[in-house]
Amino acid sequence: MSAVGVLGVGQTPYVTRRADVTFPELVREGALLALDDAGITMDDVDAVVFPLAPDALIGVGNGERWCVEALGAAGKPFMRVNNGGATGMSAVIAAWTHVASGMFDVVLVAGGERVSESGSAQSVLNKMWDVGYERPIPLNTITMLALSAVRYMHAHGADEADFARVTVKNRRHAALNPLAHLREPVTVEDVLASRVLAWPIKLGDACPSSTGAAGAVLVSERYARAHGLRPAWIRGIGQNTETFWMGDRVGPRMLADHGDADALAVAFERAYAMAGVTDPAGQLDVAEIYAPFSSVELHVIEAAGLCGKGEAPARLAQGDFALGAKGTIVNPSGGVLCSNPIAVTGVARLAEATLQVQGRAGDRQVEGARTAVASAIGGDHQFYASLVLSADLEDIA
Amino acid sequence: MTRSEPAPPRVAVVSCVRDVVAREEGRSLEEMIFETSHRALAAAGLTAADVGGVVLSGNDQTDGRVISCMTSAGPAGGVGRDVTMIASSGEHALVYSWLRLRSGQGETVLVVGWGKPSESVSPEHAELVSAEPYVLRAVGMNDTIAAALQASRWAAPGAPPAADDVVAWPLTAADLPARADCVYAAVLAVESAVPAGASTGPAWIRGAGWSTDRYEPGARDPAAQAALHAALAHLDRGDDPVPAASWEAVEIAAPSEPAVAHAASALGLPAGTPVNASGSLRDAPAPAHVAGLARLLAAATTVSEGRAGVAAGIGFNGFAGQGATVMVFGRDAVSGGDAVSGRDTVAGRDAA
Amino acid sequence: MTSAVEPRFYTQTWDLSYRHALGDTTSRFLAGLAEQRILGRRCPSCERVIVPARSFCDRDHTATSDWVEVATAGVVEMFTIVHEAFRGLPDPPYALAYATLDGADTALVGYVRGLDLTDLPSAVASLAVGNRVRVAFSDTPTGTAADYWFEPA
Repeated sequence: MSAVGVLGVGQTPYVTRRADVTFPELVREGALLALDDAGITMDDVDAVVFPLAPDALIGVGNGERWCVEALGAAGKPFMRVNNGGATGMSAVIAAWTHVASGMFDVVLVAGGERVSESGSAQSVLNKMWDVGYERPIPLNTITMLALSAVRYMHAHGADEADFARVTVKNRRHAALNPLAHLREPVTVEDVLASRVLAWPIKLGDACPSSTGAAGAVLVSERYARAHGLRPAWIRGIGQNTETFWMGDRVGPRMLADHGDADALAVAFERAYAMAGVTDPAGQLDVAEIYAPFSSVELHVIEAAGLCGKGEAPARLAQGDFALGAKGTIVNPSGGVLCSNPIAVTGVARLAEATLQVQGRAGDRQVEGARTAVASAIGGDHQFYASLVLSADLEDIA
Repeated sequence: MTRSEPAPPRVAVVSCVRDVVAREEGRSLEEMIFETSHRALAAAGLTAADVGGVVLSGNDQTDGRVISCMTSAGPAGGVGRDVTMIASSGEHALVYSWLRLRSGQGETVLVVGWGKPSESVSPEHAELVSAEPYVLRAVGMNDTIAAALQASRWAAPGAPPAADDVVAWPLTAADLPARADCVYAAVLAVESAVPAGASTGPAWIRGAGWSTDRYEPGARDPAAQAALHAALAHLDRGDDPVPAASWEAVEIAAPSEPAVAHAASALGLPAGTPVNASGSLRDAPAPAHVAGLARLLAAATTVSEGRAGVAAGIGFNGFAGQGATVMVFGRDAVSGGDAVSGRDTVAGRDAA
Repeated sequence: MTSAVEPRFYTQTWDLSYRHALGDTTSRFLAGLAEQRILGRRCPSCERVIVPARSFCDRDHTATSDWVEVATAGVVEMFTIVHEAFRGLPDPPYALAYATLDGADTALVGYVRGLDLTDLPSAVASLAVGNRVRVAFSDTPTGTAADYWFEPA
């Protein structure tokens, strides 16, 4: 099949609140940034994929339809993806699918998020759970990952300081990223002293609720060649899905542990196989991975094959994965821990990976980066999306 | 350096199953999805372990589930597989399934769309939240009112109410879609994976077009059904389009019967081409989110059961048909066999 | 030119109501709580006893085949102690855990009661992964999953 390129990406700054624009106007900002970066206009776009996770967070059902005028997309093929937190990257993969189908040469992914307008996001997110068994129990996206963190601690001997070091690294990175939401550097002591949300997750371990927009323009190889363009290239994609039931991810008969990210590892393996990545830690310069809580980043680093299971805390403690270190740099943007505009968080991972492999990431640039992996997670740690990006079409191995 | 671009594989709908109940109070939505998915896979000679990917579509406000793919991915056979939820409308999930196979992602896809409006105490209220909060929600916009506003553009000036069962002038209850609890599941396969010896033949996807118009009903002419015309234009750009003049049956989901009639009349179909042989909007009930998927699959079934050589499904989505999708199915995978199959099905069409 | 205005806000509430059909299997599980019984369903393919009872196994995409009553005691698999107030959710602090009950192959989620949650270190210590808990039942069952909880064994 023909290769698919990323011709342009755009992100607004991620902030707590935007009172100066409506939701469609916000989405338009991200779309225009992506189109400008690609050097094209909406007239050049053949189809649009819109990432939008829970409708209730923006307070409009099928809010994608509301944005058609603002995008200038009237009359174009248009569809929305909702894979929870993985939505943004699943939408990128859907756009990849549009191009790889041979039907479209230029596809725009554009969306936005304003969680701040929902007065009760975690109450909304409690409605994710099974109507019969789980809703009477106050599960939400924080508690579900606190449960995972406890298992990671138990299985691998990690402690709260190991989690805190993830935040310290990412805040240091985010301080170099003018788009990031949380940019204040913090210390391990600051994180450990922050208030407990759901033990072991503390405020310092948690992502913010971000408002912002992001977009990306994907193009076919024939379009790029015909116009003499040099996009970044999506070399591999991989998605996988785990059982919804967290109680099935523990115990002697489990297939994948809720404390690890084994099913995500399968998604990475699928993307690596397609991309020809055989030694992720040796071949990938950058990882922009979805980890909304500090504990999650540890097991995602391991699932991505950047180190062995349970080894991420020690590697992080010795300074690996941070800007300036040797080997793969993890979340040079500051990652989801510093900016989480839910619907487009996965688009942001692609955008950051693209900037990195093209050497356009400014102060957060990983020196000489040519290859990157990006990932996202949705549902209750259930929907997994990943992709491999490179600066050119040379063999990665 | 020129990289080869092999032709994308041909894709067919190889099984198609539905579960439609006026009010299903004995089974959960997830149980309906499990049973329907299992049946669709079995009808294609597959199990969940064999399927190359799963594409889902539901409307969270209808079902009262936030990110409803979470609880439905498992019953749809998605554990261990690539699952993508296309949330804009059920028919988009079918289109996306086709794109997935064309793009080389596996050999089969299970697509599942659903709506269980009986669980909503007030489905109209669930529709109301699709109105943007500043203006349309304040006037109480919902699918019925939007459909009536659209139909008012076609009503004769000063026409008196047609009957005493007017729901929203000019529409009567008989003009409007009925709701039911529905799950639709279908398996799509590339040519090399089409099962042999199935009781029904494959319905080859000959093309699809889809488009979405402006959101604000006041920013477009709802009577023009511009989304349909844009979708038809995209269909024409496909690599093997079948003109409407060759369609032998059409299934249309639309906001109202007048909208069905106007869409059908705009297609330029040969006289006598059956439209909605599977039932009127009221007789073939479906919540709006899956009505289009239901009609697209009804068209596929028309072909797979030998009642037409070429059939098309059309679905509208959004207030007053903001979006439209067209998918054309053929007994033959490519043009050339059409003339023969067209002749063959004349008798079938008369019989239907 | 129009003069500058302060951005305005428009408050909206989604008061959507639902009456969710739970199906026969979940209904029977919930009815069992009033009899102080925890019921699971066995998958004929992987032979796991799935608790709480589900009518199908998502691992094998197979309908479960028979009822299995499991013990009302088991082992903590994971837990959290919530200190943050979330609108629409209970007042903190409260503890949640998943526990695999004896005879079950999957874990059940529930509140953990009978702990002093104000002292976080001691609460965490008493809820360690691998610790035993027992299921307690409400004397006034509501027919929902709120009718049981865990207590340290």
